[in-house]
Amino acid sequence: MNIWTYILRRTLYSIPILLGVALVIYVMFNLVAPNPAAILLGRHATAQQIVELNHELGLDRHWFLQYFDIVKSSFTFDFGRSWSTKQEITEMFKAGAIPSLTVSVPSFVLATIISIIISLFIAYYRGSMADKVTVFVCVALMSVSSMAYILFAQYFFAYKLGWFEISGYDFPNFLPYVALPIIISVVLEVGPDVRFYRTIILDEIYQDYVRTARAKGLSEKVILFKHVLKNAMIPIITYLVLAIPFLILGALLIENFFGIPGLGAITINAINSSDFPVIKAMTILSSVAYIIFSIITDVLYTLVDPRVRLK
Amino acid sequence: MKALNLILVLSLFATLFSCSKTENENERVLNLLVPAKVKGMDPAFASDKYSSNEVSRVYEGLLEYHYLWRPYKLVPNLAEALPVVSKDGLTYTFKIKQGILFQDNKAFTGGKGRELMAQDFVYTIKRLADPKLQSDGWWVLDGKIKGLNDWRDKNAKGSKVDYDEEVVGLKALDKYTVQFVLAKPFPQFLYSLAMSFTFATAREVVEFYGKDFLNHPVGTGAFMLDVFDQSNKITYKKNPTFRNKTFPSDASAEFNTPEFLADAGKPLPLVDKVVVNIIIEDQPGWLNFQKGKIDYKGVPKDNFASAIQGGKTLAPDLTAKGIRLDISPSLDVTFTAFNHTQKIFQNVNLRRAMALVFDEVKNNELFYNSTGLSAQSIVPPGIAGHIKDYKNPYRGPRVDEAKALLAKAGYPEGKGLPEITYDITSSSSARQQGEFFVSEMAKLGIKIKLIQNPWPELQNKVNTKAFMLYGMAWGADYPDAENFLQLLYGPNKSPGANGSNYDNPVFSEKFKKASQMQDSPERTKIYEELYKMAAEEMPLLYGVHRQGYTLFHGWLKNFISTDFEAHQEIYLNVDIEKKKELIKKI
Repeated sequence: MNIWTYILRRTLYSIPILLGVALVIYVMFNLVAPNPAAILLGRHATAQQIVELNHELGLDRHWFLQYFDIVKSSFTFDFGRSWSTKQEITEMFKAGAIPSLTVSVPSFVLATIISIIISLFIAYYRGSMADKVTVFVCVALMSVSSMAYILFAQYFFAYKLGWFEISGYDFPNFLPYVALPIIISVVLEVGPDVRFYRTIILDEIYQDYVRTARAKGLSEKVILFKHVLKNAMIPIITYLVLAIPFLILGALLIENFFGIPGLGAITINAINSSDFPVIKAMTILSSVAYIIFSIITDVLYTLVDPRVRLK
Repeated sequence: MKALNLILVLSLFATLFSCSKTENENERVLNLLVPAKVKGMDPAFASDKYSSNEVSRVYEGLLEYHYLWRPYKLVPNLAEALPVVSKDGLTYTFKIKQGILFQDNKAFTGGKGRELMAQDFVYTIKRLADPKLQSDGWWVLDGKIKGLNDWRDKNAKGSKVDYDEEVVGLKALDKYTVQFVLAKPFPQFLYSLAMSFTFATAREVVEFYGKDFLNHPVGTGAFMLDVFDQSNKITYKKNPTFRNKTFPSDASAEFNTPEFLADAGKPLPLVDKVVVNIIIEDQPGWLNFQKGKIDYKGVPKDNFASAIQGGKTLAPDLTAKGIRLDISPSLDVTFTAFNHTQKIFQNVNLRRAMALVFDEVKNNELFYNSTGLSAQSIVPPGIAGHIKDYKNPYRGPRVDEAKALLAKAGYPEGKGLPEITYDITSSSSARQQGEFFVSEMAKLGIKIKLIQNPWPELQNKVNTKAFMLYGMAWGADYPDAENFLQLLYGPNKSPGANGSNYDNPVFSEKFKKASQMQDSPERTKIYEELYKMAAEEMPLLYGVHRQGYTLFHGWLKNFISTDFEAHQEIYLNVDIEKKKELIKKI
């Protein structure tokens, strides 16, 4: 099948998915969650004010119209304004995306490169002391909670040694603020990534074609980088591309502790203040991003592995 | 070797990236911390403390609290003097100061701020009542000003709100005179004129910016917004057209000292710039304070033991850095509410038994580092209506008496009582406090089931009366016992402020009478009667009145903890030389 036909078909498939997502959002926020008018009015609410605010928010309209609003915003990306801050949600997201990306993209790229290199290295020396020690270190890194890394690194490297800013963000002079969060993110990601990539690479290493390559007299370096890595790319791409939507969403804890005004911090604030339009918008965007990157993943399969055909 | 490599890599990062900007050492900059995202800069929506504080840096109202006076006292701000009040207590007439200018902004003709007029207050109050806007501050004036509710109801029906339509109780008599006529006596009305909801806004600015007005604050205040990044940093610069307002020369006894009056008579504000850092988590806030990047900060719960010794003294390492401690009681009360719509809690002996068994001293020690003041009733110390040295006869722990009362209530050793649910918020500290409550009630054989709720869910349960017990705290909106006693006023039942739905006709009658009286010994006497009723009837199981522990650096001058922080920044000063000296010790 032509790649564009495939993309078009997958895009059409995403319509019922988005309708479903909108339905879930409607049920969660309009039927299950408490009355937002009462929450917004807070401790001085009166019954009359609740009725009035429900009207102003359009919550007393027919359920289908409210559902249709969600569907509409899923396709137009016009999410209206935040209930809490009264800001345009699209503008909030635009403002939050850059700080989030300045942390998540470098840490993602660094963690991926470091992890793949380490994985190839220990796969090459599989069963050796270096392999065992690396796996042990990875498990140890994964066993410590992210909060512990954040608290310790912020206290020790930023406060005690004064190497980094303790918290905050400044654009374009953001490097002093994001350096430590990036390092922590890399440390957090390397443990599970190395274990995952190592498993994938080891699966490949015991394949017949590797034995054949060795029999042909190819060097281990060529086998690893040219043959094994190429064949391991499908699961690696799946893993990486599907992680990208989460990069955009930001790192909730890290952003909060380091005062980075990214999308993670916006999400936490929206949850804490029952800012339903922002939470709805975030849910819709996550779904859309997930759908888009799933399609990209499928397309990339064909590029890295000629055996894969789009149907 | 790996560790060495790691340190080398980190050092490299540090060398490459440690190039952050430093502030001009000779500029007087106030560095503040706000532990929450600021909602916006629209006075009508400044319902939380943090947004209200930010709004107050730019906007001003007719009245304000005297900075150096306790108990809190209202003084004129944009008003020329306190109002002339009619004999029936219904008409308040204010003269406003002449020559006060709004900050320069492109919303005004030629970009120059125009003079403040009485009509601006009429517009501001109408905007608060605007049914299409649904402001957060409408509760302050709901039912208070003659004709305003009718205006609101009428405009709710139409498609457009008519701001030009006259309201009987809200008039600009001339350019500098504004008059409010109340629908019924409400002496607390004056407090509402010191709240940020009623701070003067200019109609042309609101209309110029439309929905983005909240990002473009233009008031008459001492500071102008410079950078507004509400989830990161907000900076303000001095307003060059600010009037000649000076630091007070009088003070109540505790502040009548050379230290607090050193700046008396000096033009305000005393600093050139205000930087508000939004830092939500405790650790970065605490570390930034210790680095001298924040001028003052409350002591985080987790750092209390290391910072404060014996509950009163600052740790020597902090004293050596020139840091000082301010301890100040807050106008608030924590409590567990019984749901009075449920029959079992209409039994006063049950309520008293539960209060008697509860070990408040232990509770204070465990959850407030023994810094709270045990609440004997609902009104906190520092305002008329609180009875000093009063001991609530039903405060525990007196387990045997509690058991006897429980038997008298008809539930000997808890027999016959259903399992009681206790709704709390989802925080870990609420969970810990809840567990303590469960263990205390178990001493009487009362079974409590904890239910943790996200804040909106808890609020919803309270509003819909769908709970048995819930835990909460109430902070003063203004320094009047009425603001606390209203929590037990029958007509204020859910979804109003009386979440426990306590409805005692005698209490409500007395409250209604007192709430319409001007401040007087007679009113205080009724407040005190209500205070005792609220203690002995035990409609709520009281916790503590919390105290604020705030640390501030030695270079910060004139710092006083206050429950009403509006405009505090204009009175604060930074001693630049002292800062240069002390920062070396940090």
